[in-house]
Amino acid sequence: MIRFEGVGKRHPDGTVAVEGLDLEVPTGRITVLVGPSGCGKTTLLRMVNRMVEPTSGRVLLDDTDVAELEPAKLRRGIGYVIQQAGLFPHRKVIDNIATVPYLLGWDRKKARARAAELLELVGLAPETAKRYPFQLSGGQQQRVGVARALAADPPVLLMDEPFSAVDPVVRAGLQEELLRLQSELHKTVLFVTHDIEEAVRLGDQVVVLREHGRIAQLADPHTLLTSPADDGVAAFLGRDRGLRGLGLRPAKAVELRPVDDGLRYGGWELALDDERRPIGWIDRSAGTAELQPSAGYRPDSDTLRAALDAAVLSPAGVAVALDADGRAIGTASREAVLAALTPAGGGPVSVRKPDPADAMGTPAGADTVGTADGADVVGTADGADGGR
Amino acid sequence: MNWLNWLSDFFSDPDHRSGPDSILHRVSEHLTLSGEALLYAALLAVPLGLLIGYTGRGVNVVTALAGAARALPTLGLVTLAVLLAGVGDTAVLFPLVALAAPPLLVAAVEGVRGTDPDVRDAARGIGLTHSQVLLQVCLPSAAPTLLAGFRTATVQVIATATVAAYVGLGGLGRYVIDGLATRQYAVTVGGALLVVLLAVGAQLFFALLARFALPPGVRAQRRAR
Repeated sequence: MIRFEGVGKRHPDGTVAVEGLDLEVPTGRITVLVGPSGCGKTTLLRMVNRMVEPTSGRVLLDDTDVAELEPAKLRRGIGYVIQQAGLFPHRKVIDNIATVPYLLGWDRKKARARAAELLELVGLAPETAKRYPFQLSGGQQQRVGVARALAADPPVLLMDEPFSAVDPVVRAGLQEELLRLQSELHKTVLFVTHDIEEAVRLGDQVVVLREHGRIAQLADPHTLLTSPADDGVAAFLGRDRGLRGLGLRPAKAVELRPVDDGLRYGGWELALDDERRPIGWIDRSAGTAELQPSAGYRPDSDTLRAALDAAVLSPAGVAVALDADGRAIGTASREAVLAALTPAGGGPVSVRKPDPADAMGTPAGADTVGTADGADVVGTADGADGGR
Repeated sequence: MNWLNWLSDFFSDPDHRSGPDSILHRVSEHLTLSGEALLYAALLAVPLGLLIGYTGRGVNVVTALAGAARALPTLGLVTLAVLLAGVGDTAVLFPLVALAAPPLLVAAVEGVRGTDPDVRDAARGIGLTHSQVLLQVCLPSAAPTLLAGFRTATVQVIATATVAAYVGLGGLGRYVIDGLATRQYAVTVGGALLVVLLAVGAQLFFALLARFALPPGVRAQRRAR
């Protein structure tokens, strides 16, 4: 656990980056610091590994004041990933990843074996090991950066806008990869971003910061999207936060009609191939056999947002539920999807008993801190589990 | 007599084939002297340059001093050194080191300062100490610039080491000065040609070194910029 206690940073020229911040970063979870540039989020992150020294207050790592630890030693026990990856250009990928093990005095063979393991863990091909950083794409470099941070298996990971410099498609892939890694490794992650979308997607807990490192709201993503603490936070979240909130809820909640009696909707009929994979919609009333593309989603892995999207895209107004092999397992009308949006019994998020420490420095009313499990683990929505 | 005849006279003279005035001996004297001067200059300038480049302190001073040092007249320095230290190796080494040190110093400073700040930040952030960052990250990153500095310094030193003969020491300058003194222009021209060949050879040597001895990542990084 990382704890910030009354932490402040005043630069020699008198400008204040952070002022009296209290924050707890729980063990084994992803905490995202998000806010506009100049809100002090990077400064806060860098205080944890003493790349920045606070001018007041203290930062505790598992109840030890980091100021008491020798910086280089402290840092070797904390993973650190930055925006431009910062790989050593003169070293091969494998030796880049093995940097911290080398520093810790592991023998070369063991360090390289560990690095090879990590290469696989972050989804890079074994032959990447012998490449130099300049031979990799931005996304691959970032994966190597993550692998390097994980090499000595540190319990804490600091990530400073690690995915900001890559294009949106690669970014989405990297985010997914991080969530997958986290579900295996359970690191204590402090993640900084200016992208609220990313914050909501990755965070178990999201800290919205204002200038001078003041906490505007600290909440799980669902709470943040559904009940922002004030107009400022709401504005920062953007207009379609309601829709984005659907991205945190599983599509399982949508009641499906079995395929066998669900092929016809109004004048439209869903055409399937021999494997029961959808081919498209045929407009029977038009009397032609022209196929309109069908839109599908995966009830077991997609979110309500994807289900709604599929329903909106479909000419018949019907989303097709698919299994892992792309076979239709049911259909859901727009009405069925909408019905799933308003589940009985409140939000789908399992709210842990609020920890009083979590509420420190939080504006009143915004202190129901759940450790909502991210997009992947909600699963408590009532209603039919029709897809199975 | 044209200069081709001079050259054939010079190279066919038995005195230049073996003995203390042989070409091989003079070239080896010349290279030893140049090598010594470069070694001392490097020992002095490179660590200092790395440190200044890393800390960023004193960069302006270095730039100003290096510019001023280039204006120093070598022959004047030799004379001064002889007056102060008497005839001997020191009298020649002193101006040669003064000649070689500024380009090395500037190259070391600029090379280290050219290290990608993100790479330095990451290096510190994952737990390298200052000396580890300097030696394991900044030094390799500075290698191409440093090598270019060595090339400049070497060529200048080889060309200038002829002044050794001015104070009675060996090297290729002997041919140039003795040839002039005895009006044997063949010897002067031959000696001058040898100096040029050595300097060009040094250029080639460093070009090859830059091509094949630098780690690929560093080479590519330079190309990309």
